[in-house]
Amino acid sequence: MAVGLEQEVKNEAFVAGFDEAASRALAGESAVPALRELREVRFAEYRAVPLPTRRMEEWRRTDPARFPFERMKRLPTIPRGACAPHAWDDLFDVIVSVEDGAFDIRDRSGVLEGGQVLVAPLEQALREHADRVKPFLEKRARAEAPDKFEALGDAFWNAGFFIHVAPGVELERGVLLRYRQSGAGGILIPRVIVAVGERSRAVLVESMESPDGVELMSVVSREFHVAEGAKLQSTTLRAWGDRTVHLAGDWARLSRDARLEWITLNFGGRLTKVRFGSDGAEPGANAELDGLYFASGEQHVDQKTLQVHSSPDTYSRLLYKGVAKDKAHSVYQGQIVARPGAIRVDAYQRNNNLVLNDGARADSMPGLQIDADDLKCSHGSTVGNLDEDELFYLRCRGIDEASARKALIRGFFEDVAGRIPHECVREVVHSQVDAKIG
Amino acid sequence: MSAKTADFEIRNLCASVEGKPILQGVSLKINKGENHALMGPNGSGKSTLANVIMGHPAYEVTGGDILFHGQNIVELEPEERARLGLFLAFQYPVAIPGVTVAKFLKTAVDAVRGVQNVKPAEFMKELRENSEYLEVDKAFLNRFMNDGFSGGEKKRMEILQMLMLKPGIAIMDETDSGLDIDALKIVSKGVNRLVGPAFGLLVITHYERILNYIKPDHLHILMQGRVVLSGGPELVKELEQKGYDWVREKFGEEVLVV
Ligand SMILES: Nc1ncnc2c1ncn2[C@@H]1O[C@H](COP(=O)(O)OP(=O)(O)OP(=O)(O)O)[C@@H](O)[C@H]1O
Ligand SMILES: [Mg+2]
Repeated sequence: MAVGLEQEVKNEAFVAGFDEAASRALAGESAVPALRELREVRFAEYRAVPLPTRRMEEWRRTDPARFPFERMKRLPTIPRGACAPHAWDDLFDVIVSVEDGAFDIRDRSGVLEGGQVLVAPLEQALREHADRVKPFLEKRARAEAPDKFEALGDAFWNAGFFIHVAPGVELERGVLLRYRQSGAGGILIPRVIVAVGERSRAVLVESMESPDGVELMSVVSREFHVAEGAKLQSTTLRAWGDRTVHLAGDWARLSRDARLEWITLNFGGRLTKVRFGSDGAEPGANAELDGLYFASGEQHVDQKTLQVHSSPDTYSRLLYKGVAKDKAHSVYQGQIVARPGAIRVDAYQRNNNLVLNDGARADSMPGLQIDADDLKCSHGSTVGNLDEDELFYLRCRGIDEASARKALIRGFFEDVAGRIPHECVREVVHSQVDAKIG
Repeated sequence: MSAKTADFEIRNLCASVEGKPILQGVSLKINKGENHALMGPNGSGKSTLANVIMGHPAYEVTGGDILFHGQNIVELEPEERARLGLFLAFQYPVAIPGVTVAKFLKTAVDAVRGVQNVKPAEFMKELRENSEYLEVDKAFLNRFMNDGFSGGEKKRMEILQMLMLKPGIAIMDETDSGLDIDALKIVSKGVNRLVGPAFGLLVITHYERILNYIKPDHLHILMQGRVVLSGGPELVKELEQKGYDWVREKFGEEVLVV
């Protein structure tokens, strides 16, 4: 049928450079049949997802056409190779580095030896630990269908990792995932699947960096599974250089009585569009979600958060705080979703913005979508400049205006910054904030 | 009166906010070693005067001078006035989220008294000592400044700041309002610690109560943006009994010095 054919062609619109031939080429880079199969399945999913347009509410403020895929090149699957050590390495059990076309996994405390903890590239996981990784490829952490870029990440990743913590394990110091990219023109596509077993405890820190002045791109897709009674403490630090373009789609699925503490820190990048969702999939699930962002210069950062409650008796609390300065533009879109039957849900969402000058802009759109009753939901947002009375108060105590502004901006971030579990990350936040205040 | 200028002197000060005149020629002299009280009906301009003395950017000085040690400070930034030794205990202290009391005070003390003049250990010792004196629990020092503090706790925090900054001239804007009887005694005890030849004080209040603890040498009455009456401490009793109508009837618009 002509109409059907036309429809199909429309749906097949691909992101530039990410078509069937690219998918086949990528699959051909691996000799592992399970991986080739997985690539095929994910490509079929990706192909069916329509391209986003500015007409979609989520993309109204960030034109999807701005992502320069046509100027960039997909990197081949990143091979294992040597990566430089880093000052933070000593603070973690396992360090995964992805650095300029090579990855490296280092086990500092020997946790990988016992087999209780698995940190491996996805390809190796599929080949050697199919029983452990398969369940998390079949059951998705996403509470909703992926958008085009998330699906792209699922299908075309070139740096994939699987982190699995067996039940009842305390991975106290946890895993550091560091991405450092410096070559111009390449698209790094990390894909990370984390599964924390029942009653386990895991810590994860991700750090993303690139030098200023180099145009490059990264598309990240991540899924986190937190099993019954488990706890995952995760910190995501985005400190990309000033010409890096970044897209991310992250989802966490929380089982019964699972707890997620997630802090997102968005400081770098020229153009950033990130989505983050948590799903209270079983009763007792508890998500504590915090975020800080500081957009300066000509930065554009667009963040969408979804607090999904698929199950009754689930809890989520979200606080995102941001500063916009110079000609920067920040966007926050929040959504609390209570699915039918999700009674006795307790959800809180708040977004506060400081806009430091006239040319800067912050858009804040908190939101609720409630299909259940007997629940407690609240959301709110603020956008404004520094408080004149607070400034005057500090100045009356002898503190000059520039220092007073700095103290108030730092102070604005401090409630969230104080919750960052790692001192070294907190220091980066403080130095980024100070540098941006100028 | 000698021709010598006072340590702190306001001459015919006029100020307006959003084009609306509030202060209409305020004159006042305060020497170190003196306690002054300023009373006046709601809306008469007491807090405006305090804010203008500190250089609040919302108020425009349309006339007159403020002299501190003979220097006209009208054009100075608030922080410069504070560094010269002026202090205001606010009627409504604001919260500074994200800045702990200890950090706030360290920054302020460094700015006002000079980093090189106060060693960290010395600062900590002074802070501990002053907190104990004002019966401020140690836990407060690690809380964010005034964030979630009760009205009385905020007022006590103002006095703790004053003790740490050791100003030459201090204005206390209704520090007594909202304090319970015990807290008022503690706060007054704190203030009296500074009272002496190196310290001049202007206490803005609506009540006689605090003046039983901080004895004023002079009392001024502000009405409609002007000091209409200045006198000795005995005026307090008269005012308590007769109210402001008595002042209005008796002295009308003219400025009177008893
Ligand atoms: N920032 C401002 N914006 C607008 N009006 C102001 C401002 N500050 C003061 N005013 C006005 O100036 C007048 C004097 O106010 P002020 O606060 O100085 O009075 P006050 O004597 O301290 O009164 P109270 O005893 O109630 O504290 C009032 O009419 C007040 O509304
Ligand atoms: Mg007042």
